[in-house]
Amino acid sequence: MTAPTDQHIEGTKDVTFRIFRFNPQVDSKPYFDDYTIPVERGVTVLRSLNYIKEHIDASISFRAFCQAGICGSCGMRVNGLSQLACTTQVWDVLAKSRESGIIKVEPLRNLPLIKDLIVDMDPLVDKMKHYSNWIDSTMPESSMGKKEFLISEAEFLRYDKATDCILCASCVSECSILRANKEYVSPAVLLKSYRMNVDSRDAIHGKRLAELVKDHGVWDCTHCYRCQESCVKSIPIMDAIHGIREDAIELRGMKDTSGSKHAEAFMSDIEKKGKLVEATLPIRTNGIVWTLQNLLPMAVKMIMKRRTPPPPPLVKSAKGIKIFREMFREMTEHVRQDHKSQKK
Amino acid sequence: MKPYDIVIVGGGGAGLYAAMEAMKTNPSLNIAVLSKVYPNRSHTSAAQGGANAALGNKAKDDTVEMHIFDTIKGSDYLADQDAVDLLCSEAPKIIRELENMGTPWSRMEDNTIAQRPFGGAGRPRCCYCSDKTGHTILQTLYEQCLKKGVIFFNEYFALNLSVKGSRSRGLIAMNMKTGNVEAFSARTVILATGGYAKMYWNRSSNAAGNTGDGQAIAYRAGIPMKDMEFVQFHPTGLRKSGLLVTEGARGEGGYLINRNGERFMARYAKEKMELGPRDLVSRSLETEILEGRGFDSPAGKYLHLDLTHLGADLIKSRLPQIREMCMQFEGVDPIDEPIPVRPTAHYSMGGIDTDNFTRTIMEGVYAAGECACVSVHGANRLGGNSLLDILVFGRIAGHTAAEEAGKFEPGNISEAELKEHVEELRGGMHASGHHERYGELREELGQTLALNVGIFREASLLKRGIQDIAELKDRFKKVRVSDSSDVFNTNLMQVLELKNMLDLAETVAAGASAREESRGSHTRIDFPVRDDAKWHKHTLATQAKGKVVLGEKPVTMGRYELQERTY
Repeated sequence: MTAPTDQHIEGTKDVTFRIFRFNPQVDSKPYFDDYTIPVERGVTVLRSLNYIKEHIDASISFRAFCQAGICGSCGMRVNGLSQLACTTQVWDVLAKSRESGIIKVEPLRNLPLIKDLIVDMDPLVDKMKHYSNWIDSTMPESSMGKKEFLISEAEFLRYDKATDCILCASCVSECSILRANKEYVSPAVLLKSYRMNVDSRDAIHGKRLAELVKDHGVWDCTHCYRCQESCVKSIPIMDAIHGIREDAIELRGMKDTSGSKHAEAFMSDIEKKGKLVEATLPIRTNGIVWTLQNLLPMAVKMIMKRRTPPPPPLVKSAKGIKIFREMFREMTEHVRQDHKSQKK
Repeated sequence: MKPYDIVIVGGGGAGLYAAMEAMKTNPSLNIAVLSKVYPNRSHTSAAQGGANAALGNKAKDDTVEMHIFDTIKGSDYLADQDAVDLLCSEAPKIIRELENMGTPWSRMEDNTIAQRPFGGAGRPRCCYCSDKTGHTILQTLYEQCLKKGVIFFNEYFALNLSVKGSRSRGLIAMNMKTGNVEAFSARTVILATGGYAKMYWNRSSNAAGNTGDGQAIAYRAGIPMKDMEFVQFHPTGLRKSGLLVTEGARGEGGYLINRNGERFMARYAKEKMELGPRDLVSRSLETEILEGRGFDSPAGKYLHLDLTHLGADLIKSRLPQIREMCMQFEGVDPIDEPIPVRPTAHYSMGGIDTDNFTRTIMEGVYAAGECACVSVHGANRLGGNSLLDILVFGRIAGHTAAEEAGKFEPGNISEAELKEHVEELRGGMHASGHHERYGELREELGQTLALNVGIFREASLLKRGIQDIAELKDRFKKVRVSDSSDVFNTNLMQVLELKNMLDLAETVAAGASAREESRGSHTRIDFPVRDDAKWHKHTLATQAKGKVVLGEKPVTMGRYELQERTY
């Protein structure tokens, strides 16, 4: 289907929107429909979708509400990247498009598909509930409304950026862990958890952290930074994830979870040798029993294929280790000082 | 299915506060919140500037009394003074309550909640969280509702009240995920669906869904609408999209400039300048444009909102979202260039007629927030009073419904009645021979409203507007729904929203045509002055046999006598 595009007005481009279609009532699998319309400079992807829906095919389904980048409804993948349709300029996308003149529009990933560009947000809400993504105030309900908590601007700034989150789920869609494990807490929920944990009015830091360090929690993140790169509000989500990890180690101790033990083993190797002693890393992270039970078959296979890492005595320190150790100490001291001053 | 004690329609600030308060008042009640979007998407999130409360953090001499006076004067003396008293007296408590629950607020140097000046206010009393106040309040309320275990029916579109005699038996709604029409039998219903200013379509700053669903449902059930002619135009909508640049931008010191480089507000509000009340500033912009002192562009005439003298630091820290919006939607960085703006339909002062306890004339039906008209805003709302309104009256609605639910018999919607609604809904819409495009009708409605029932009104224009709306309603009978699927039929939903807007547009035009005076946001070129003798009263619009019937209601006074309103 094509809109009448015979007349070329200056400053417009013919753009083909290749739109993901799926109606669970009739389709056994998804397919794409092409719609070609003339688009002026300054027009957003959402306005183009609205135009197609109003003038060409009313059955295309997508969510949109505020159209101003604040409600988070219209998260979708535009040429493979999760973003808000209402704040994405068509011409900007075209400039980076691999196939000239074509823009591919698909639903967000990692959430169940409902229809066309609409995905189910309930799993995200369920996770918000599971990880207590709310302030449980230190003030009893009966005393509320009488006086303010006195909060410094410095504390406000700790969660200011995190409260920009509009739950558009772009980060959820881009997260590489969620692709493998749908039960993973997800970046948006980690961000919200962090925002609650640095708020002095909240009384359940400990409870929230205890949940976050369990399986599918904060230690599962592999630092791919996709969430942060795709955040439509430019929120440093990885800072929040690191923040939770540091809090977990500080409050719950190093020995608490395999995640923290893994981090500790990593740090100690780097400090001692300037590189990893991979052969014993699983043992130090998960213990000897777990390692024998879970990794022995793989270790045997690795030996057969001669892919084993060198045994610990053979791991030599990296070149210039002495200078490195000094730098390392200086750096960790800096971090420690920073934390101290932040806590004040 | 067991009937609900309370069904709340709408998951914005008013609906969520109502749910929370109802649960607090009586934890044993069976409460449900229906929302056509996920609650955190609600339009409350778009309120940038803040909420007024006489906390006295910034100006130590601020008082609740001054807040009351500013609000009454701002309303052009059409607000009910006892309701305003309630609004302003509750304000400090409710802002502190939100703060205690975890809403992030920007802070003063002494660590108290920060406040800034806002239009029409005698003291800086607008509490804010940079320029995302509504967003952070909505997040807090949604989080707290999740914490309390409120039951949500997300993406349910409310269709009609089920009415028997003088009372409601509950609500009929469509589940968007399945297309099923479902009955929610209930003792009480709270309507909290937001405003109707989206009927101005492209000349509106509102979300696509602010189509007055709750008001239209109530109107069709015979509940009167109050003061519908009062629609606020925000002075500074972005030229191309109508999206809003918060009054906070002027609160921080922004200038309004015409093509001659003049700060033209000196002509209209010598003392308050850019911080005059919204109706006055909007008229000033429109006058500048009409008298040829606006800038020209293919996207229409406009004026400049200049922030460049405020400096990059202040803009980045206090107005970051605004800066981003200007860059995304207008291609202008306010640090370097002035922002092109023109007035845009923004807020509906009118709404469902309620008393101070949010009760409507129908037993068991309550309304709160922009959906309702108590009235606390009268003929013109002050900036920073709308967030306050949804919080204060949302809470009152939750409390009142929880207290009174026991008084009413549980409603019971029969299968037969449900079937009737389904047939009415489906009947005809997919029929062959239906050829009218909903998108066209919607755009034409917006155009005629902006042109004929806009900032400046006049008898012949209004007559034209009323005719146009009647014609559009006629054409709507042949509207086509070409999507025949059940799952997420947004085509059908948008058609139903259009129906709601058409029903309400009629009441807006009728009220505007009847009110032969100029008051607040309602400006008649042919009746340029306020006429207290004839028109110091509310208008009521009721539907009878498919036609608008106008009535009236006195204004509650008691605190301040009528005065001329100058700034």
